[in-house]
Amino acid sequence: MSDIILSLSGATKLYAGVPAIEDVDFDLRRGEIHALVGENGAGKSTLTKVMAGVVALTSGTMTVDGVVVAPKTPLEARNLGIGMVFQENSLVPTMTVAQNLYLGQEKFYNRLRGIYIAAQQFLQSLNFDVTPTVTVGALGAAKKQMVEIARAVLHRAKVIIFDEPTATLTPEEKKYFFDLVRDLKKRGVSIVFISHALEEALLLADRITVLRDGKRVVTDDAARFDRARIVQAMVGRDLSNTLYGARKATARPAGARVLTVQNLKMAPMVKNNSLSVFAGQITGVFGLVGAGRTETFKIVAGVLKRDFFHGGEILLHDKPVRFRVPAPAVKAGVAYVTEDRKVEGFFETASIARNIYLGLLAKFPKGRWLLSKRETNTVGTGWIERLKVRAISDEAKVVELSGGNQQKVVIAKSLIQQPELIIFDEPTRGVDVGAIVEIHELINRLADEGKAVVVISSYLPEIMALSDRILVSRQGKVVEEFSALEATEEKIMYAAIH
Amino acid sequence: MKRVRFSQQEIVFAVFALLFAVFSIFLPGFLSPDNMLTLLQNVAVLGILGLAMAIVVIGRGIDISLIAALAVPSGLVLQMVQNGHSLTAALAAAVLFTICFGLVNGWLIAYAEVPSLFATLATGIFVAGLGQAALFQLDVVQWSDGMAGFERLGQGTIFGVPTSIVMFAVACVVVALLLRQTRWGAYIYAIGDNPYAARVTGIPSRPIVVLQYVLASLIGCFAGLVMAASVNSMPTRIFNSTLIYDVILVVVLGGIGLSGGRGGVVNVVIGTLLIGTMLNGMTILDVPYAGQNLIKGVVLLAAVITDSFLNPRNEETAQQGDI
Repeated sequence: MSDIILSLSGATKLYAGVPAIEDVDFDLRRGEIHALVGENGAGKSTLTKVMAGVVALTSGTMTVDGVVVAPKTPLEARNLGIGMVFQENSLVPTMTVAQNLYLGQEKFYNRLRGIYIAAQQFLQSLNFDVTPTVTVGALGAAKKQMVEIARAVLHRAKVIIFDEPTATLTPEEKKYFFDLVRDLKKRGVSIVFISHALEEALLLADRITVLRDGKRVVTDDAARFDRARIVQAMVGRDLSNTLYGARKATARPAGARVLTVQNLKMAPMVKNNSLSVFAGQITGVFGLVGAGRTETFKIVAGVLKRDFFHGGEILLHDKPVRFRVPAPAVKAGVAYVTEDRKVEGFFETASIARNIYLGLLAKFPKGRWLLSKRETNTVGTGWIERLKVRAISDEAKVVELSGGNQQKVVIAKSLIQQPELIIFDEPTRGVDVGAIVEIHELINRLADEGKAVVVISSYLPEIMALSDRILVSRQGKVVEEFSALEATEEKIMYAAIH
Repeated sequence: MKRVRFSQQEIVFAVFALLFAVFSIFLPGFLSPDNMLTLLQNVAVLGILGLAMAIVVIGRGIDISLIAALAVPSGLVLQMVQNGHSLTAALAAAVLFTICFGLVNGWLIAYAEVPSLFATLATGIFVAGLGQAALFQLDVVQWSDGMAGFERLGQGTIFGVPTSIVMFAVACVVVALLLRQTRWGAYIYAIGDNPYAARVTGIPSRPIVVLQYVLASLIGCFAGLVMAASVNSMPTRIFNSTLIYDVILVVVLGGIGLSGGRGGVVNVVIGTLLIGTMLNGMTILDVPYAGQNLIKGVVLLAAVITDSFLNPRNEETAQQGDI
């Protein structure tokens, strides 16, 4: 039996003539953990989808246990022993854990008690702490993932592929997930995982493959990589100093107080939260998922529904305000750049220029009863140039852009409204490395121009690199405040967890 | 590799042209001036209703109460004039009634957050019932002397074109300008495209949704007046007909996606032409009513299936951003 369980050689996949991956060689050893890293659009997703039978290769070959195969559906791949855990959960939320595990394998006479007992025994054998009779919708992200993993193991997967497995997990859950993966490895399962968090790849993987522009740049033992080497391989240039790089040498001083939140309450996420934001500096807000950061600022910007407001006071420029919908908040100079751009970020059937123009219309409707094609174009080309949005034309639809360019359009749509207070919620989530640097530069420039900037992030290096002042949020309120100069990652993490 | 892709509107237009040609050749009397007039007149009211429906469908809603907006306010005008009020007073009352109707629809959908299908289903039945129970003395409200002159809204010709067609054309131009050239139109498309993003961007989403339903009701009322003028009466029982399905058929067939944010007046015109020709041809052929419904159902299914063949929404196209 050879050491290689799965291999691809000369793998190429064309989408409408454009290669998503090109001539990629890849091999996976028995019982190894293999990380795939690369910028958005580097071909990671396509590569894993080929292995999982979601898309077929245009040319090249794939072998499993030395036999040439070409799975055309996920079912065929599953029968070859390849399971994939997708970013979006593929579980049925209204069914119980046990029902999900045995979904598609029900016998004609399907006795619920039977599958509960079987599921119980199976989950115990994996040491998974999940109750089989609970409905999946009631589970947290980590437990859902456990169920997905359990299902893959149940289907006798020899290879399990994860697409960004830790994106939705809290640090504690991540730790647990890492243990699970190591345990799977001990059972002889080979793991492939895509990750944007390089630390995870370095920590967890045995080997790392770096992809760039659809081609494989390098595959090597994880021990021979460090952060700088991966980043350099990913972008083909040395970015390690600018990307979450050197600590801030100086912090911008606080200007006038723009926002004051006093004893804000919203069950169950925000409990008596108080904080201030000042002009001319970047206020970083760090916290674990569920710390109530997003909710607090969504209340400020009027994005959350009014019935969630349970008391407290919000002052904008020392005047009490209460925005029940976003429109008056936008008028008052508050912009909220969403953490979930696909859901509430942009208009997908509209062009880039129209997206940005809509932001202008919403803030400055006066004298704009009729749409101006010329103004739309000026606005479009102007901002595309200013934010370096890379698109075929300003008539291109936003949905056709990469994550980083989409994010730039969402930001432009807010900046054209000339806000005084700008709230960036996870500004670089799902954004490629090059665009991260550009978005960070932009955020810094806004603070230099005297705007009050808030950056909410779950990623410590991002908070450290950007903030002049750091607020740490825990269980619904801000518990600690640091100046950028006194903060260390350890101090912040300690405040966020304990 | 570049594949030529036909949009749904091009296909529907081609089907219309083909159907028209076939009917012209094989159906005696189809091309006769009399029949063309009937066809266009039937099409006109349907088309105006289609415009009303298009506005709400583009904004990601649906208005099932349109037929009530067609029948009741225009019936009210005829009834009031019959009862001795002046035409002006009657029209003012009808317009006020229609605006209130639209406001209630819009408020239910935008502020009370009732799904548009259920809200308009309920208000439509209510208003139709209100008309029959409290406003009209007979099911068919008759023309009276006080209405003299008003029939020109639906009869006769302007520069040789039947007036009802001119009215459809006017409505098309007004709605096209509103949708494509004004801020409100841009807002309607934005809300239909992504209501959450529209909200976060600061677009006054709820007032705009209310506006959509007020406009739809007003256009529905206008269609009712044109209809009443062309037949010199208002058969208020039209609410019980399947007309609303024809209106939805026009909009969907024309290529205005029910998911919102897409399509425009051109799609309504094309959809109207096809449905109008089809219905007229079937009437001449004396296809029984049940058979007509059968054919309409097949056509709608064919349209939907063709659309999903030509514009597939699978994983490959859905995830263009992340290859």
